[in-house]
Amino acid sequence: MMDGLRMRRDRAGNFFRLLAMALCSCALITPVARGSAEERAVAIAFFELHVRPTLIGRCFSCHGPTAQPPRGNLRLDTRAVLLAARGAGKPALIVPGDPDKSEIVILLRHGIEDVNALPAHRLTADQLVDIETWVRRDAITPDDNLAPSGAPVPHPDLSAARKFWSLRPVQEQPLPAVHLPAWSQNPIDRFVLAKMQEKGVHPVAAADKRTLLRRATFDLTGLPPTPEEIIAFLADTSPDAFAHVIDRLLASPRYGERWGRHWLDVAHYSDTAGEDADFPIPEAARYRDWVIDAFNQDKPYEQFVKEQIVGDLMPARDEADRRQKIIATGYLAMSRRFGVAPEHEMQLTIADTIDTLGRSVLGATLGCARCHDHKFDPFSMRDYYALYGIFESTNYAFPGSEERPFQIGFAPLIDPAKASEVLKPYEASLAAAEADVRRTFDARAKATDAPTYQRLTGEWERAKNHRNDVSHHAPVIEAAYGVSEGTPHDACIQKRGEPGDPGDSIARGFPEVLGGQRLPPDEHGSGRLPLSNWLTDPANPLFARVMVNRIWQYHFGKGIVQTPSDFGNRGKPPTHPELLDFLAKRFVDSGWSIKAMHRLVMTSQAYQLSATDDAANTQADAADDFLWQFRRQRLDAEEIRDAILAVSGNLDLSRPGPHPFPPRDGWHFTQHAAFAAIYPSMHRGVYVMQQRIKRHPFFVLFDGADPNLSTAERSVSVTPLQALFMMNDPFVEEESMAFAGRLRTARDTQDGQIELAYELAYGRPPEADEYSEARAYLAQYVQKLAATNIPAGKRETAALASHLRSIFSSNEFLFVE
Amino acid sequence: MRSTDSFTPNVSTRRAMMRSLVGGSLLLPGILSELLSAGSAMASALPSMAGAVDPLLPRAAHFPAKAKRVIFLYMSGGCSHVDSFDYKPKLISDHDKAVKEGKFLKRPNWQFKPRGQSGTYVSELFPHMASVADELCVVNSLKGDHNNHFEATLGIHTGSVTFARPSMGSWVSYGLGTMNQNLPSFVALVPKLPYAGGQVWGSDFLPACHQGVRVIPGNDPIPDMSRRAATAELQQMELGLLRSMNRRHALRRENDLLLAGRIKSFETAAGMQQAAPEAFDLSGESDATLALYGLPRGSTQGFAWQCLVARRLAERGVRFIELIDVGSSDNWDAHGDMNTHAPLAKNVDKPAAALIKDLKLRGMLEDTLVVWTTEFGRTPFVSQPGHAGREHHASCFSSWLAGGGVKPGMTFGKSDEYGIAPAENPVHVHDFHATILALLGLNHEKLTYRHAGRDFRLTDVSGNVVREIIA
Repeated sequence: MMDGLRMRRDRAGNFFRLLAMALCSCALITPVARGSAEERAVAIAFFELHVRPTLIGRCFSCHGPTAQPPRGNLRLDTRAVLLAARGAGKPALIVPGDPDKSEIVILLRHGIEDVNALPAHRLTADQLVDIETWVRRDAITPDDNLAPSGAPVPHPDLSAARKFWSLRPVQEQPLPAVHLPAWSQNPIDRFVLAKMQEKGVHPVAAADKRTLLRRATFDLTGLPPTPEEIIAFLADTSPDAFAHVIDRLLASPRYGERWGRHWLDVAHYSDTAGEDADFPIPEAARYRDWVIDAFNQDKPYEQFVKEQIVGDLMPARDEADRRQKIIATGYLAMSRRFGVAPEHEMQLTIADTIDTLGRSVLGATLGCARCHDHKFDPFSMRDYYALYGIFESTNYAFPGSEERPFQIGFAPLIDPAKASEVLKPYEASLAAAEADVRRTFDARAKATDAPTYQRLTGEWERAKNHRNDVSHHAPVIEAAYGVSEGTPHDACIQKRGEPGDPGDSIARGFPEVLGGQRLPPDEHGSGRLPLSNWLTDPANPLFARVMVNRIWQYHFGKGIVQTPSDFGNRGKPPTHPELLDFLAKRFVDSGWSIKAMHRLVMTSQAYQLSATDDAANTQADAADDFLWQFRRQRLDAEEIRDAILAVSGNLDLSRPGPHPFPPRDGWHFTQHAAFAAIYPSMHRGVYVMQQRIKRHPFFVLFDGADPNLSTAERSVSVTPLQALFMMNDPFVEEESMAFAGRLRTARDTQDGQIELAYELAYGRPPEADEYSEARAYLAQYVQKLAATNIPAGKRETAALASHLRSIFSSNEFLFVE
Repeated sequence: MRSTDSFTPNVSTRRAMMRSLVGGSLLLPGILSELLSAGSAMASALPSMAGAVDPLLPRAAHFPAKAKRVIFLYMSGGCSHVDSFDYKPKLISDHDKAVKEGKFLKRPNWQFKPRGQSGTYVSELFPHMASVADELCVVNSLKGDHNNHFEATLGIHTGSVTFARPSMGSWVSYGLGTMNQNLPSFVALVPKLPYAGGQVWGSDFLPACHQGVRVIPGNDPIPDMSRRAATAELQQMELGLLRSMNRRHALRRENDLLLAGRIKSFETAAGMQQAAPEAFDLSGESDATLALYGLPRGSTQGFAWQCLVARRLAERGVRFIELIDVGSSDNWDAHGDMNTHAPLAKNVDKPAAALIKDLKLRGMLEDTLVVWTTEFGRTPFVSQPGHAGREHHASCFSSWLAGGGVKPGMTFGKSDEYGIAPAENPVHVHDFHATILALLGLNHEKLTYRHAGRDFRLTDVSGNVVREIIA
């Protein structure tokens, strides 16, 4: 947000939302009666939370009761002084209701906008906006004394907070009445059409069958439809032809590779740890495959989430199921690692866990409550550290780091008794070697003269080398990058997020506003098990809503809530709140079946609309928030790559084996020489090795997910470097040549080759002018090639490849409608 | 946040805009950049629309700018402040004295002298920089948040020592756009990967067009910049075919700015493919200029190449140019022996001074901000008397700025008598960043981007502009 005014407006708007939330009235539409007790209470809360601290922290040291004498002989610590007229023609310091006339506001604005202003008058933009908002809302204070009152800061009123749209219980929604009942193919359409009628837009026509098939195939599998699939769909004139297509696509293993990737975005999946040396994690891929398989199996979402939180403690059907459930906890282990000895920075790793868990499962920015109570949503530091204790009681597998270049605590996947038998001697000798490292290090610290210091440094180095040698003899057993139970305990608040500055110890539990459950008395573990139940409890208003919104978002390119990982005050409210609740209810009733939701969404008329423009609709709703057309979407990074490979014939659809990481005894990665590799692959993009520190250049270029953060939505950027990739990168060159070879093998004639190229790449035959354009182009290109050193026998293929590169580069290939 | 759906333009003007974009001549990208340039009537009439098609469009600063562009010289590994710019006579006289338990003071390896008219102290480590001391504003009271290379490198580039955040160059590109559509707005001249890898010039959550484009010295400095088609004519034919296909596709899709943006991106790319080699081609530089930088003709080696290319990119309108002298190894990280600073200094000293002289000669120094910095300083003390190296020291270090509205011939901030901590006018990395942005006309508190429910900025929740050093 570049524009300061706009930012101010946003913050002010936020205050209105806070009011609306607190009062559960239509404060946004009609001002609440001024002076009502409720309004006053909210205004005072705002003053206490956002204004008084600024007055105390920024103003009173010069203009308060203890300033001797006060600067400019001006004290600001009573309301009476602020409101008093300051002589003839001079405005009051504060004019309640009118920040623009309030001299203090004018002065502070100047302070922010002018670099040369007195530093003491330079508040932060946030502080200024809060003061403006407070003045605009009549500058209400509890009493005349503005200096520290000693009164505790009021706690946000949780019962009022629970009236915010996303925190209300999911409601059963009656189907709205609509003018065009015939248009509706399923209940979704009733909600969508009712909203269109309300907003004065009308649906465009339905998409044609080819467009619809291309849309659905990319949507569910991330790949283009084959010519055979197109022919079959065109030939099927039965009313449920499209439903059959959906079933076919959902049954394809390609489905999990596409939708699993969506979850991997949210879970910020990576094949490396992200600490300074970015250690590789060969076992991470097991979690990736687990996610893909879970989507293919249509694992109920409730179960899907539970296993990722606490799969290691859940009862298993059999050995295979036990292994899979342990692997599922990779979701937690995936938390980012920091520093050269990550165990020293565990507070940041746990912060990442809570942030990711909050965003991915709850659509809540819990991470904001690490250093202070959440400024906009009803989450306190106490809520944060109630969760923190659960993860501090959990052991995270340690992927290795510069200081300890080996793995510790990976979860064995073999029979536990056998694992312990194999691991015990190793762990004992490693512990002994580690103790030696500590002993020699401590001894060196006590050295008083240089020769002793040198000698003990040598001993310490030798001890480290020995320990690393021991680690190279770690027994090779199958293991998972997951979590296990640690020592159960409650965590202390870390004041300002500093672990070295502990506050109250907080009983482990769930955020107050979501129920505030605490560990049951018979819970003796970390608390992950009860946590998994609290998260997935049907009474949790966020759990189902957040996931159905994600499903909707990936189908339509935009969520009903357009901030899919933020259902709070700073997020956007739903465009179709009733539909969101309807879907959430259906989701629960379907037994948390994601595939059932796909069928429901995709069989709606809303999903099957064309992407055609309409001038009247554009005037009323240019952003298409109300779904009068289907939103054209650019392929994402994986789709671009996979579609090119699929069309060229080079895509390997098998599941690849492990990444070819260097052998473990060669893991001497440091921040000076961090692990960095790019492994060429013809497998699907979801299987390409993804690093945190040195990201894969292709995925960076085309807006792939940043594995350092939970990605709710891929951005779509258009850059000349992307164009240069299409024009000049060897990958595109090679695949164009392969595509040309494939076409020349399949078809004898030039027209036949062009026809097949269009069918494969665009899902449609060429039009007459496209044939003639291609003929002319190829002839001219071959002729021009005669002047180059490309031999005569290869010119036809080279010309065709050039045409195909234009197809790969074209908007029609890169966009789905 | 800028995105294609964040505005609701009038349909007919949008069409007109689209037609002109689609109709732009393929091999005359200049027409489009002209069309979209800040001054044109069209761009001012439709700023948000043009911004959606081209987020790199030049944009107005928050207040009048002193500098138009930044050349950021970054010394990887931690250059010692007490051996370079922070003169501590008492550190010399108290050599080997214990300053606290187990910490013994260590004198610098290089002699300090007051230089030029200003008397700015620069040690013999940097004799060439010393020769331009009257152009420098040395800051001796910098402090960072982390004593580890990886974290401190991120800190000096992104303001965050822990979580990934956009690099300063990306923020500047986002805030001001580019001055030349045919070159990236943010170029990183990086022969070897630094600590924290590409995060150093990454755009993180900012739109990808703002990420630094890494340039590696050699034949193919920017990836995919070399023409793949057999001849230039054939490439033109191919792009012509693409344009024809895209225009046909766009006929019934007139309202989609993203499609138009992609069509335009190929024109820009073609322009870039032509402009970039020229920018990197030093054959037109005079012998005198090459000698000034100390670059043998034809060489693409060392900091001399980086500095000369930086000047050429600055001339051609690149907004932010980052130079990393060496990578994450064999760098300034002189734990073992401070004398390893000598060859590293030799690599950067003459070219950095040449850059300032050359910019001044061309009248560009006044609106080009040159920044010389590192991730942290080095300890003024050692754990064992006589130890030859120094350790990491984030709590105090030195940098300098030159040109771009900075007061020349000035030394700002003081460390204590040994250079252990700032004693007067401490400048935190956030303050440093806020000041650089202020020189560019950007208010660091207003340069924000909404991501995941929060307005993020380069300076997190702090940062004060160091007004004393602004001319």
